[in-house]
Amino acid sequence: MKQLLLDILPSSSPTLINFVPGRNIELLQTIKNILAGDEKEHFIFLWGKIGCGKSHLLQAIANDYTHRKLNIKYIKCDALCDGDAEFSEIMDSDYIAIDDVDRLNSSAQINLFNLYNQVRDEGHAIFLVSSSTAPAQLSLREDLVTRLRWGLVYQVYELTDEEKIQAMKNHATGHGFNLSEEICTYLLRHGQRDLPSLIAVLNALDRYSLANQRQISIPVLRELMLTTA
Amino acid sequence: MMDAFWSSCTKDLEKELSIQQFNTWIKPLQFTFSVDPCIEITLLAPNQFVLQWVKDNFFLRIKQMAEKHFCKEISLQLKIESSLDTKTIGLTKNITKITPTPVIQNLIAPIAQKAFKERTGRLDPSFTFDSFVAGKANQLARAGAIQVAESPGTAYNPFFIYGGVGLGKTHLIQAIGNFVLANTPLAKVRYIHSEQYVSDVVKAYRHKAFDEFKRYYHSLDLLLIDDIQFFGGKSRTQEEFFYAFNALIETHKQVIITCDSYPKEISGVEERLISRFGWGLTVAVEPPELEMRVAILLKKALLEKISLDENVAFFIAKHIRSNVRELEGGLKRVLAYSRFTGHPLSLDLTKEALRDLLTIQNRQISIENIQKTVADYYKIKTIEMYSKKRSRIIVRPRQMAMALAKELTPLSLPDIGESFGGRDHTTVLHGYRKIMGLRLSDPIIGRDFNILLHILRS
Repeated sequence: MKQLLLDILPSSSPTLINFVPGRNIELLQTIKNILAGDEKEHFIFLWGKIGCGKSHLLQAIANDYTHRKLNIKYIKCDALCDGDAEFSEIMDSDYIAIDDVDRLNSSAQINLFNLYNQVRDEGHAIFLVSSSTAPAQLSLREDLVTRLRWGLVYQVYELTDEEKIQAMKNHATGHGFNLSEEICTYLLRHGQRDLPSLIAVLNALDRYSLANQRQISIPVLRELMLTTA
Repeated sequence: MMDAFWSSCTKDLEKELSIQQFNTWIKPLQFTFSVDPCIEITLLAPNQFVLQWVKDNFFLRIKQMAEKHFCKEISLQLKIESSLDTKTIGLTKNITKITPTPVIQNLIAPIAQKAFKERTGRLDPSFTFDSFVAGKANQLARAGAIQVAESPGTAYNPFFIYGGVGLGKTHLIQAIGNFVLANTPLAKVRYIHSEQYVSDVVKAYRHKAFDEFKRYYHSLDLLLIDDIQFFGGKSRTQEEFFYAFNALIETHKQVIITCDSYPKEISGVEERLISRFGWGLTVAVEPPELEMRVAILLKKALLEKISLDENVAFFIAKHIRSNVRELEGGLKRVLAYSRFTGHPLSLDLTKEALRDLLTIQNRQISIENIQKTVADYYKIKTIEMYSKKRSRIIVRPRQMAMALAKELTPLSLPDIGESFGGRDHTTVLHGYRKIMGLRLSDPIIGRDFNILLHILRS
């Protein structure tokens, strides 16, 4: 018989504290400078592989700003986002985050171009953009790309396996369960290797072990992976 | 009782407004009053600008609050701080607990800056002739710009500057605007990006406000319009611009235009406009050569009050070639890295800071590779890419390779043209536009383009 679970999970909204920096220490320091109001540059471009932590960082800043009652606008781009509604009327924002800019269609690019110029004219908002493509390889309007490359450009490095194991262990501790090195290694060998996917499996594993009243172990993990596959 | 009113009023406004609005407009106000014969409140603003803003945006709200608080009609006035000598109650006394964070402090100045820009034609005051680095690539454009700035409306009208992105066109035309404003502070100057002009036309259309739109643009002394190529295919915008252009030129008011290509090459723009663009002076800005890129970096460093070694500047300039914006981005990255590590700027530190960027560039597709891949695909010799032959069987693959080179490499159009047997950059642009057009109308070209893109990227 399965144990029924209360649907209460500890909050794990993105913050700088639960970001595992790995080789991204310089970038993390720049973001801390932004939050402290010590960063002169307002335009930051982050790029890196899917799952390397770009959205986490963009959202972490948004959360910090929201906490301080400042106006924020976080936009997750996709091919359907035309930018008309998304990029207009956000001029009062203190922080604008454009996540996955490489997915914008052509009309949205015009709107983003106009928004960029307005933000630059105003000299007010902090403007962060993320992309999974390197800026030089972005297939967006050239005048937009050169503007995005005008500020500080950072590559967000993926974590190494050791750093991912540490991040998984930290996550498990934060959620009140212990995770052996063996399970982490197993997951890295058999599952999706990006951190968001690994964390998603850990969350599912936690719930699965509670529901079935079984200790977290490799057989339980394997069973879960088979079930979900 | 009076203190209590102002304290509660500011508290309410603090809740209603964003922090930076409150800090910018309400916090600097000083509250004064007299009760004899009736309650008269006077708010003292630190300057005319704050006074006008408060009058336009918060006057009624504060009056309503006062009348509600005292349950009778109140006289409310706004004055500039030094013009009254009455009992004052500093607002800061009441809200000393609110200490703006550094972030908020950084936000206040830009708001005033925005308002300043509104009054100065939306020009960036940092774009001046002094901060513009001149070189072989832009000397003609700069000389023309100075003449236009010194005698607006008479020297060359319109003044048309064309060239690739990030080469300083915007800087140059805004420098003209700033120069004119410095000499004639009352001149009505307006800088506008063409996308914004299009959007203004749409707004005028939606709100049936064309008369107002026309009145505004026709009344300018100097109109600076950036990136006019975006007028392509927008007939109503072109029509409005045509009228504005004629009205300004007829009254000897200066029109300055920038574009990514030579007037005759702009696609989708009416002939009558294109011919008018050629009435004055048309000049090109080319990508900066190495020495000029170094000069740009040294100038930028000087403005930032940073001492930049020439070797470091040469290293950055040698590796970032495409345009000035990327060059400045590269310098910012090096400076940020130096701040982060606490080490002084040096060649080694620069190499380390730009390592990611350089790795990506090295990984990029070379133009030779594109030419060879395209030639193999169409079964022609690679040498035909540089030849003078103009038969269709050669020209189309060559245009395809040019279009792919523009898509896949950061090279400037003149550099691409050079790699195709020393062709002009306008030929490259024409080839690129031709292929982009055919991609949509001709399914075979569309398919070829996608296949080649895939082969080259993988």
